[in-house]
Amino acid sequence: MKAIIFTSMMTAGLVSFNVSAQQAASVYAGEHRAEVVCSQCHGIRMPSADAPFPPLAGRDAAYLESALKQYRDKTRKSDIMNNIAGSLSDQDIENVAAYYSGLKP
Amino acid sequence: MKITKKRLSQAVVTGLAALCLPLALQAASDDEHKYHQLFEDNCASCHGSDHGGYLAPALNAETLKGRSPTALRTIIMAGSFDTLMPPFYGKLSDDNIRGLVSHLKLTPKLDNPAWTIDDIKKSIKVYVKDESTLPAKPTFKIDDIDDIIGVAARGKYGRGEGSRAIFINSKTHQKIGEVPTGTAAHIIEYNPANPRWAYVKTDTAEIFKVDLYSMQAVRSVKTGFNGPGIGVSRDGKYILAGSFVPHNAVLLNADTLEPIKTFELEGIDPDGKQVSSDSGMIIGTPFDDIFAIALENAGQVWVIDLKEGFPVTRITNVGRHLHDAFLTHGGRKLMIASYDDSIVAAIDLKDRKIIKKLEAGCVPHVGGGSAVVVDGRTLGFGTNFGDCDKTVVSVWDLDKMEVVKQIPVDGGTESPAAHANAPYVAVDIISKDRRARTVQLIDKKSLEVVKTLDVGGHAYFPEYSADGKFLYISAGYSGDQVVVYDSFSLEKVATIPMESPAGIFSHGRVRYMTRGLSPDELAQRDGDLKGAKK
Repeated sequence: MKAIIFTSMMTAGLVSFNVSAQQAASVYAGEHRAEVVCSQCHGIRMPSADAPFPPLAGRDAAYLESALKQYRDKTRKSDIMNNIAGSLSDQDIENVAAYYSGLKP
Repeated sequence: MKITKKRLSQAVVTGLAALCLPLALQAASDDEHKYHQLFEDNCASCHGSDHGGYLAPALNAETLKGRSPTALRTIIMAGSFDTLMPPFYGKLSDDNIRGLVSHLKLTPKLDNPAWTIDDIKKSIKVYVKDESTLPAKPTFKIDDIDDIIGVAARGKYGRGEGSRAIFINSKTHQKIGEVPTGTAAHIIEYNPANPRWAYVKTDTAEIFKVDLYSMQAVRSVKTGFNGPGIGVSRDGKYILAGSFVPHNAVLLNADTLEPIKTFELEGIDPDGKQVSSDSGMIIGTPFDDIFAIALENAGQVWVIDLKEGFPVTRITNVGRHLHDAFLTHGGRKLMIASYDDSIVAAIDLKDRKIIKKLEAGCVPHVGGGSAVVVDGRTLGFGTNFGDCDKTVVSVWDLDKMEVVKQIPVDGGTESPAAHANAPYVAVDIISKDRRARTVQLIDKKSLEVVKTLDVGGHAYFPEYSADGKFLYISAGYSGDQVVVYDSFSLEKVATIPMESPAGIFSHGRVRYMTRGLSPDELAQRDGDLKGAKK
């Protein structure tokens, strides 16, 4: 199932490589993951002025982590976020949450 | 079912010179009109109004043949990794995305739409009627107007609120002004004769005349449908703007933006075929009252004299698919990149002939180019973005016109930056993976890569501040900021947030002509030539 989601993400061209798992939350790895996976819609500090997506910068890390996990487990429904979060490992989620929560919007 | 019906009716519409449309067909044509408009409003500035592609691939019946509608729909919805393609999820309804995909798969590449001198004239918009009401000095604190750095912020969607020309004081790294441009800003040129004027060209070929003293647009004109070519004459009186769509260039009055004359770009290419051509680079030179313009497909460089009748001298057989260029030797010599034969051709603008063709790596894209004087030699630096085994930056001796070295770098490159006072030549690695985050620095003396900066985002278009103390780099799409480094220590000193920054243009360019040259050296070396003037 995960493989299928991953393949569909590859088709969408959103995922380019794997980040090695099992380390402490890395803001640096999170930055890269955020640029590759999230920023297309959510931007870095702000989403595009013309975009309908919510900003992530400066949000609480625990909230970002739980939201991403809910999207990944599909306990929170969104076609696009269920797919995108499906490509993230626990480590990715921790890194991305650490990165975005530390940014000033 | 709906799609099948649309296909059928559309085929009929295309097949008939419809005189009296039955209701069903009328509806289909309304649909076609609607999707054409959606394409114009959301896609055309990158993919081309003629569906023939521009910054982004051509989208028409032929190029999309066999492509899965589902895959296309996914790309439109989610965007495409490490490209400028943004996600349209939430901006376009799913029905519209599906409709657009089938529309694109049925639409042939369109003929070049006409955009005549009358259309250009009618497109002029005046934002400040009486320019004598503008302030006589900058309304912000700045030591020297050359300290201004302009950034073409594309905006995530290539249009809208995020699309602006953003001006920064390169000593304080603070924004001093933002000029909204409607669609993605692409090129910023400065008037060499009057420091207050800048000209911003967008991806939809609009040119904004910007007053840098009050940081606002005073006029604009639409010169075509797309194409980045724009140059300003050394006396600051003329602008030449060239388009991909349609295939022409237009000479404008730099003051009023009124069109004076159009030039239809056509000629015989190096393979003997008569072709109609996109406009490549356009350059005004401190050397003479002329413009040089590259005809991309015809492989010719035209020299237009700024005198009665604006006569054209055609230099033929320069190369296959010409693109960008830079000047050297007081603006007398033009180095122009030719994609398809991987050379840079040196042209003498006085004798108006080719001096030599130099090896230039793989698909050379010289960007703004760079030239530096090292131990008495003028060295030119050429980037290239081809996807070849050998990724190098070419270094040429511009006095002798020969290749000095091909420096191995990490990947394809798009634009070199240099400054007379800075020790390194910066090149942006654009290969589509983690390398895209980086910029490499070449030591001017040893001609070796000595450092790799991890800038973040899709890092490109490095530019030095006019005093050479700071290196500005766009952490482009997915980075959404400009990052500033100390030119010597290479420490990060500032970040400036903006939406999808691309090209960076120092006002100092009008003084040193080509990045890396010193205005003093220019004046000295070129003696009686006027050189780059202040």
